[in-house]
Amino acid sequence: MKIFGDVSRRRVMQLGAGLAGGLLLGSTLARADTLVDSVVPATDEMAKGIKKSGKLRIGFSNGFSGNTWRTECLEQMKIEASANADRYDFIVVDGQGDITKQVNDIEDLIAQQVDAILLIANSGTAVVPALRKAERAGIVTVPFNLPVDGEHWTAYLGTDPHQKGMILGEKLNDMLSGKGKIVGFDGLPGNSYSAGVWEGAKPKLGPGIEMLALKDAYWEEDKAKVIMADLLAAYPQIDGIYSDGAQMAVGALRAMKAAGRALVPVTGDDYNGLLKFYHAEKANNLNLKMSLVSEPSWEGIIALRTAVKLLSGESVPKRQTIKPTRIDGDNYLQYMKPDLPDGVFVDTTLTDEQLKKLFS
Amino acid sequence: MKFTLFSLCRRYPIWVAVLLLYAVASLVSPAMLNPDQVLNIVRVTAFLGMVATGQTIVLLTGGIDLSVAGVVTLVNILSTGLMLGDNGNIFVAMLACVAVAAIVGVTNGVLVAYFRIAPIIATLAMNSILFGVALVYTGGAPHGAAAPAFNTIAQGDILGFPASGVCWLVLSIAVAMLMRKTVFGRWIYAVGANARAAAMMGVPVRLVVVAAYTLSSMLAMCGGLLVTAYIGNPSLGIGNSFMMTSVVAVVVGGTALSGGVGGVVTTIAGALFITELNSFTNIAQASTGAQFVIQGVLIAASVVVYRLLARRPRA
Repeated sequence: MKIFGDVSRRRVMQLGAGLAGGLLLGSTLARADTLVDSVVPATDEMAKGIKKSGKLRIGFSNGFSGNTWRTECLEQMKIEASANADRYDFIVVDGQGDITKQVNDIEDLIAQQVDAILLIANSGTAVVPALRKAERAGIVTVPFNLPVDGEHWTAYLGTDPHQKGMILGEKLNDMLSGKGKIVGFDGLPGNSYSAGVWEGAKPKLGPGIEMLALKDAYWEEDKAKVIMADLLAAYPQIDGIYSDGAQMAVGALRAMKAAGRALVPVTGDDYNGLLKFYHAEKANNLNLKMSLVSEPSWEGIIALRTAVKLLSGESVPKRQTIKPTRIDGDNYLQYMKPDLPDGVFVDTTLTDEQLKKLFS
Repeated sequence: MKFTLFSLCRRYPIWVAVLLLYAVASLVSPAMLNPDQVLNIVRVTAFLGMVATGQTIVLLTGGIDLSVAGVVTLVNILSTGLMLGDNGNIFVAMLACVAVAAIVGVTNGVLVAYFRIAPIIATLAMNSILFGVALVYTGGAPHGAAAPAFNTIAQGDILGFPASGVCWLVLSIAVAMLMRKTVFGRWIYAVGANARAAAMMGVPVRLVVVAAYTLSSMLAMCGGLLVTAYIGNPSLGIGNSFMMTSVVAVVVGGTALSGGVGGVVTTIAGALFITELNSFTNIAQASTGAQFVIQGVLIAASVVVYRLLARRPRA
């Protein structure tokens, strides 16, 4: 299965023992090695590496671990790390969703004199002083997935919410032929990711599209379903659903189905539940369409490789953008995992067997 | 007593508030009057209502149960994980949920009654444990799904009325009867009003407290099962919102946090009020921030109103 663009453009990222250690986990790593295609520098600015010798120690401060995306992300990082066990030790700390705890976690990693700290920040502001401290201690820092304020970190990588939003907005506009009434769903109230996606999407929706209500549904299926049930009562005509996460899209569609309404076009990400729902319902709902942009859960692998590259003295782009996968009604069968739970995010390097083991 | 609007307001303030809010909401959005929307609100209120009914019992004893959030989450994870979308597994899954809820409730009660741990700490700790267990049990990647037959308790109807609403009202009225008409109910009020005096009168205070927490846990389990049946999927974040809203529904209903004053029937109205408010703010396009502010203001206002009402002598 070819996911990530054109093979001829592939540059294999040769970072240390990644390939040598890949015997056991060959298929996963072989796929992971195509990932390089999906990473592009976002700036000309380069981050200078710090050459370290001997066995390295890389810490990962995970902001929290309470959802399946994070679980898949961490699992892929662990697989990558175990394939490189001769090269570096991988230490994981969990912030449990607590901004303060994550700062302490990072301080602990600094005290343990690790060589690099990767992190997904609970708060892009709160971790700034800790990262500055790490910088002074000569530690390479690689925040990823969610941006961090300031410049006192070595290199950042993640998807571009604004670009994602532009795609979602354009596609929703197309699916509705530029005309209709829509409702929308965001994640946690006030989060910068949802705001970025919406900023990108909004200008792409034509003048014929009216947003009836844009609600925060916490990236939770049940919350979206409850809100959608209210919106259905209020608005006799809803022609489309904008959502930056497909859990909310499918929750909203389930409410429509329960209310006996014809299903409508939706946007979202690579949540397996929506693909399964679409597959089951599309025959009875000719107007049900979807256009999705993934949030790749293999970002952590790139973060690890970036850290290793920096620690071998090489320079890397200060900011790298991860290119997501686009999924729609034409190609979804390639990604759908009918035997796996709804909660799986399908843009992953994990094989079905690995996912089955993880989700059991 | 004369049956005037004023006396109605004084005797049943929360019911008046429920109707008033509905009237205001209908003026802003006539869609609220749609019978389907009325039934939808009842269907959705059932989840919170079930949990809040249990919370009422604990608040009446002068305690608080913050572990309801963890119970809802764990029940959701456990039931979907054991059902695996198969009707044949419903019984086993429910049995496991009952067992877990019973253990949680009894433990909460014992911690509060026998080890004299402050209820807010004991149940907060329990909540943390339950969420941790859910994480360990799933490894962060929950699997399974609710069985189709099971889903009908939240998605189906009984004679055109939402089945979840029927479950909630029947159970809540049963609990209300338990509180009003039985010795056990009087013990609950006595313990909440003055535990020492109750003990001197021969009320088995500790056992009553254990029973209260157990009932709360069981009802939170029922709420968890209903919300699971509504969505059909496991979700680690599903219970979070119940911790505070269950307390809010009870307090808005007029039950005092200090214990001994209030009742289950007004909590039914309290839960309706909160859900109605959410529904109204959804339809009225209020932002999440505005929604939080409005909720906060109404909680504070309701407490003030109840205090004022309590001060006035009865006509």
